[in-house]
Amino acid sequence: MNNLYRQRLSSHLKEMFKYLRLVFNDHFVFALLIFIGGLGLAYSNGLKELQAGLWWAKPVIFIVLLVVLQLGRFATLLQDADVVFLLPREADMRRYLTGARWYSESLGMLYQLFFMFILLPFIQVTDGMPVLSLALIALTQLLLKDAAFSVTILRRFQLRSRWLNESFWLNWLVPLVVLVCSIYILPVAGLVLALALMIGLRVVDARVNQIPFDWWKAIALENNRMLGVYRFFNLFTTVPMLKGVAKRRRYLDWLLNMVKAVPHNTYLYLYSRGIVRSGEFSGLYLRLTILGMILLYFVHGTWLPVLLAALFLYLIGFQLIPFYWQFDDIVFTHLYPIAESERVRSFKRLMYSLLTLTAVLFVIMIVIANLNWQLSLTLLVVEAVEVFLMVQYYLPLRLRRKA
Amino acid sequence: MTLQVTKVVGGYSQIPVLKEVTFDVQDGELVGLIGLNGAGKSTTINHIIGLLTPFKGEIKINGITLKSDKDAYKKQIAYIPETPILYQELTLKEHLEMTMMAYHLDPEKTWERANHLLSIFRLDNKLDWFPANFSKGMKQKVMIVCAFITDAPLFIIDEPFLGLDPLAVHDLLNLIDEQKKKGASVLMSTHVLDTAEKYCDRFVLLHDGTVKTEGTLPELRAALPDAGESLDDIYMSMTKADQHE
Repeated sequence: MNNLYRQRLSSHLKEMFKYLRLVFNDHFVFALLIFIGGLGLAYSNGLKELQAGLWWAKPVIFIVLLVVLQLGRFATLLQDADVVFLLPREADMRRYLTGARWYSESLGMLYQLFFMFILLPFIQVTDGMPVLSLALIALTQLLLKDAAFSVTILRRFQLRSRWLNESFWLNWLVPLVVLVCSIYILPVAGLVLALALMIGLRVVDARVNQIPFDWWKAIALENNRMLGVYRFFNLFTTVPMLKGVAKRRRYLDWLLNMVKAVPHNTYLYLYSRGIVRSGEFSGLYLRLTILGMILLYFVHGTWLPVLLAALFLYLIGFQLIPFYWQFDDIVFTHLYPIAESERVRSFKRLMYSLLTLTAVLFVIMIVIANLNWQLSLTLLVVEAVEVFLMVQYYLPLRLRRKA
Repeated sequence: MTLQVTKVVGGYSQIPVLKEVTFDVQDGELVGLIGLNGAGKSTTINHIIGLLTPFKGEIKINGITLKSDKDAYKKQIAYIPETPILYQELTLKEHLEMTMMAYHLDPEKTWERANHLLSIFRLDNKLDWFPANFSKGMKQKVMIVCAFITDAPLFIIDEPFLGLDPLAVHDLLNLIDEQKKKGASVLMSTHVLDTAEKYCDRFVLLHDGTVKTEGTLPELRAALPDAGESLDDIYMSMTKADQHE
């Protein structure tokens, strides 16, 4: 069972690195370095303004520590099918979970150390604690994290204790008491409390051997965790595992009802509902449109705004095109007795509507930001030409290349 | 003659799964397509509905091939897949509307029929539901309703009996009967042999990509006199005989 976790971990890490490579591409790394540099500079400048004895310094310290304590989740790497295939080996799940704990906790501890390292200058400046106290607080934090992992594991067994299952008590209130104790009263006191907590929970954890594992809950929690991870990556790149759920979005029905339910609109009917109700493409469209609008508000100049608007319009159009094939894995899309040309016509109408909306919003933004009629007019003409070229010439080209 | 499959050789890749499959389905006839897993039932169906193109041979529906007139060919088929497939973003009502639009059906008349079918399958209060909220059986019923509002001359039904409750099986068989009386043809693949024996007019026994035997139950009995009385017996002896060869 230990081997099983190791196997899963290595394929999990492989997958994560694949996405990380996509996220941290050259441009992004560059932007990130500048961003981090800026943050660091702001932090160090901010520190210079502070002096010892501020009333809010201590609350900030324990709130930050408390929040950081929640970072680092328990990666069981369980899969849906495990409830069938691992069920007969439930007795060995302990060993599996030990492997999972080892990996997850190391990562969790790293997060704790990293953030405490960042917090260190702030504590030094505002509080002037002796190094020993700092070390004791750091140790307390690590012990609390270990206790938190014991709780997480316990929660994956069929325990009926409400006290244990409610995250408020053991995740927030108890650590808060311990941290307040070590920061306001005595670091050693906090350390002793944390140590007692950690040992106590480890003992309880070791005793639950006879309690059945809660497969459904553990798998649901793991799926939830992975969903969060994929959602994060999905901000930067498309994640195939992320099959969004359709949302009804009744408040947009007036928009959908503009498509008349007549035979030649069959695909427009499908495409319009697809884009409004699934998160994937509508999210992409909204993100890029809003980002473009924000940038256009801040960017000034004679040509730069026009270039930027044109670029964003192109990006949106470019990324919308794969939506054409969105329903291809549904057999009925191939069975409907409708000519392919009708489908293309429907898709063109969809793209015209979406791109025109974006183009108009961009023009409005430029008018507001620059109050320059000449610039706005130029942009309007450029965008009109661009949308026309994209839909009439570029789209058919892409469709043909795929076919 | 509604469906005519002539010497079809075909499959998913270069290697043919079907080897010169020939059979037909007459007007007003229910033909059962019987065979083991991997015998080529689904491949045959995928060729008929046009998802696969035969390497050799031809498939005609009322004289029209997919090549001669794609839209007219497709318009004649109503298909019920084995695993229900629905658009995640469309409600039940919208699935029905899509079908009506795609098959150029008159909305007013079709809705009358749709409402009737929905109430038979107890779906009439779920018009605003998304597929994600349906159970497997319910999804299957949605597929059935979508297919039976089309008035197509040819129904292709892939293993309809698994997952449906007994009441729904009964209602489906009634619907098939109703369509047969109107002159429609039905090709149905299934493993539920005793139901098939009771309701099908003729059988096509597929084995290893070839048509082993076809005909009515008396014809099958005559062809394999020692096999036994029921379709089940005949089928078992046929597959066993093949294994001993």
